[in-house]
Amino acid sequence: MGEAFLAVKDIYKSFNGQKAVNGVSFTIDKGEIFGLLGPNGAGKTTVIRILSTVLAADTGDATVGGYSLRKNPAEVRDLVGVCPQDLALYEDLSALDNLIFFGQLEGLNGREAKAQAMSHLALMGLTERAKGKISKFSGGMKRRINLAIALMGNSKLLFLDEPTVGIDPQSRNNIFETIRGLRDKGMTILYTTHYMEEANRLCDRIAIMDGGKFVAMDTPQGLKRQIGDPDKVTLEDIFLKLTGRSLRD
Amino acid sequence: MKQLRNIWLLTVKDLKLFASDRGALFFAILFPILFIVLFNYMMTGVMGEDTRLEINIATQEPAGGISYQLLAAMETKDDATLKPGEPKIIWLKDYEQAKQDVENKKLSGFIAFPKDFSEAVMIGYGTSLEVIFNPNNTQATAALEGVAQSIASELGAAQVVNDAVISLLVEKDLLSPGTAGDLGQSIRALLTRQATTSDVMITFSTQTAGEVKAENPANFVVPGYLVMFVFFTAAFSASQLVKERQNHTLERILSSSANRNAVLGGVFCGTAAKSLIQITIFWAVGILVFKMDMGVSPLAVILISILMIMVSSAFGVMLATMVKTERSASSIGVITSLILAPLGGCWWPLFITPKWMQFIAKITPHAWATNGFNKLLVFGSDFDSVVPEMLVLLGFAIVFGLIAILRFKTDAE
Ligand SMILES: Nc1ncnc2c1ncn2[C@@H]1O[C@H](COP(=O)(O)OP(=O)(O)OP(=O)(O)O)[C@@H](O)[C@H]1O
Ligand SMILES: [Mg+2]
Repeated sequence: MGEAFLAVKDIYKSFNGQKAVNGVSFTIDKGEIFGLLGPNGAGKTTVIRILSTVLAADTGDATVGGYSLRKNPAEVRDLVGVCPQDLALYEDLSALDNLIFFGQLEGLNGREAKAQAMSHLALMGLTERAKGKISKFSGGMKRRINLAIALMGNSKLLFLDEPTVGIDPQSRNNIFETIRGLRDKGMTILYTTHYMEEANRLCDRIAIMDGGKFVAMDTPQGLKRQIGDPDKVTLEDIFLKLTGRSLRD
Repeated sequence: MKQLRNIWLLTVKDLKLFASDRGALFFAILFPILFIVLFNYMMTGVMGEDTRLEINIATQEPAGGISYQLLAAMETKDDATLKPGEPKIIWLKDYEQAKQDVENKKLSGFIAFPKDFSEAVMIGYGTSLEVIFNPNNTQATAALEGVAQSIASELGAAQVVNDAVISLLVEKDLLSPGTAGDLGQSIRALLTRQATTSDVMITFSTQTAGEVKAENPANFVVPGYLVMFVFFTAAFSASQLVKERQNHTLERILSSSANRNAVLGGVFCGTAAKSLIQITIFWAVGILVFKMDMGVSPLAVILISILMIMVSSAFGVMLATMVKTERSASSIGVITSLILAPLGGCWWPLFITPKWMQFIAKITPHAWATNGFNKLLVFGSDFDSVVPEMLVLLGFAIVFGLIAILRFKTDAE
């Protein structure tokens, strides 16, 4: 295990008395891809929103690269990049303008932002559409732009909240390779998904969250070993075993 | 420093969105100009350059009153003696008939001396001249014609009355020419009276506030609509922040290096930039197309324009922090703009409205802005005389801004 880049300590968050995050603590090492799984409403997005300083936790704190969420939110913001679960794009601006705008907000100058934007567009296979308005894009293309924006800037920690929803297999593969490439360059990544296979392939460690709490946290192999031969059981088996089979509202 | 850069980035982004939004462009720029062209055209029909301005005057006094002497002195006996630009004064001998004519739309309006004019003047009490036009005719055309006429006529008339009274008194040896100047002042004060209303007729007081420079309707029309549309634009900007909240870009911005104040600053500057574009185009059109005169202090006109942009933008930001949905943002925006505009004298000059309305108007920033513009452009006042308006506008901007900051901070979602 390396050094912890993200250390989360006892985070609680309620909305109108309803506990969304009910005491969560974990660490992610530098250069690690950490998968956060859980049924709908488990609290994954809320955790990410708290860690990206958009939402204030009721109690608890976290440090990113040594900076406290509560005491140094500005420094934390400089270190993190977020791909929100909901598309966060300006429909009336071009893909390039969206990327450049958010890149500049991350502190890049105009030229850097443009260069990064072009390389991310290439990565997402959308170079041809650079000047096209987002409102004219397909759902999957918007998703890819949404992810590309998260990569803008000089972030050291990425929160990717279901970045691959609605994306075709070709692009998805491309994205996985990109994410691995980033990890190899030292990027730390918190990744949420409902695709178990994806988490299994991509993540170094996985936490399973339910009802605002972590119910398990281990490597994919380790998790599977809990219920049998890791080569025979799937992550989905363990997920369903731990979180039950009842539907969530 | 970093947050200033963020505000700049947010502002540029807002302008890009604005430029890409044809509806917004039309609404903010083209539509107001069309509006102004239309109304200006209608008013010019009344006060065209070729046709000499005619001022109809009647009196309700019994024969022998001062108003009779005044009218006799003022009446234009021979058109040929009129200097260029000087209005032609027509004495309507029958007040009731004149009123009938207005109701039947034979006459667009006239000025009348009240029954107690002589008494009031003798004792030294104030009185008010009535400007009468047909209010039942709800068509904008007629109403505006009446208003336009009233602006031009009451100003012109007051001037004429003033001069006439003095020359009359001097002529009759009641006054030495030396003290004539002082008396002129007092009579001006006398003519500055509050308005009263009756059910059928709208009665206007006349106000004289300095020299009448021109009767270009644009001098009144353009600033009024400018104030109204700048507030419209600001109110619509409020929905921008709501939109950002709904399409999650606000969240994305907040997780970047921009903090909450930078976000508010961005909305403020974005709105202000749009309004600045709007107002620049307005003034350009006003000056180039409508031959508007910037008055004796163009600097004051510019300063009031800028202060007005600050107030409206701060108002937009405040509104943005108070509403939850885009729909409520735009409906509240439209409603407040539509109520505040006439209340604040964007559609007709405040000095023709009843006292209570003038009082209520004081709570609207519109009134202070239009008052400032009217003073500068219609009455030819100088910089110093609009300093109070400037200070009040600044105060409005600060109050709106502070409310916005307080509200946005307590509002994490
Ligand atoms: N702004 C909010 N106001 C009120 N309740 C909220 C808010 N955001 C989240 N919640 C509640 O908090 C709980 C956790 O929501 P969250 O979005 O974190 O779940 P999630 O694990 O991301 O689910 P999903 O897999 O569906 O994205 C849910 O019960 C949700 O209704
Ligand atoms: Mg979620």
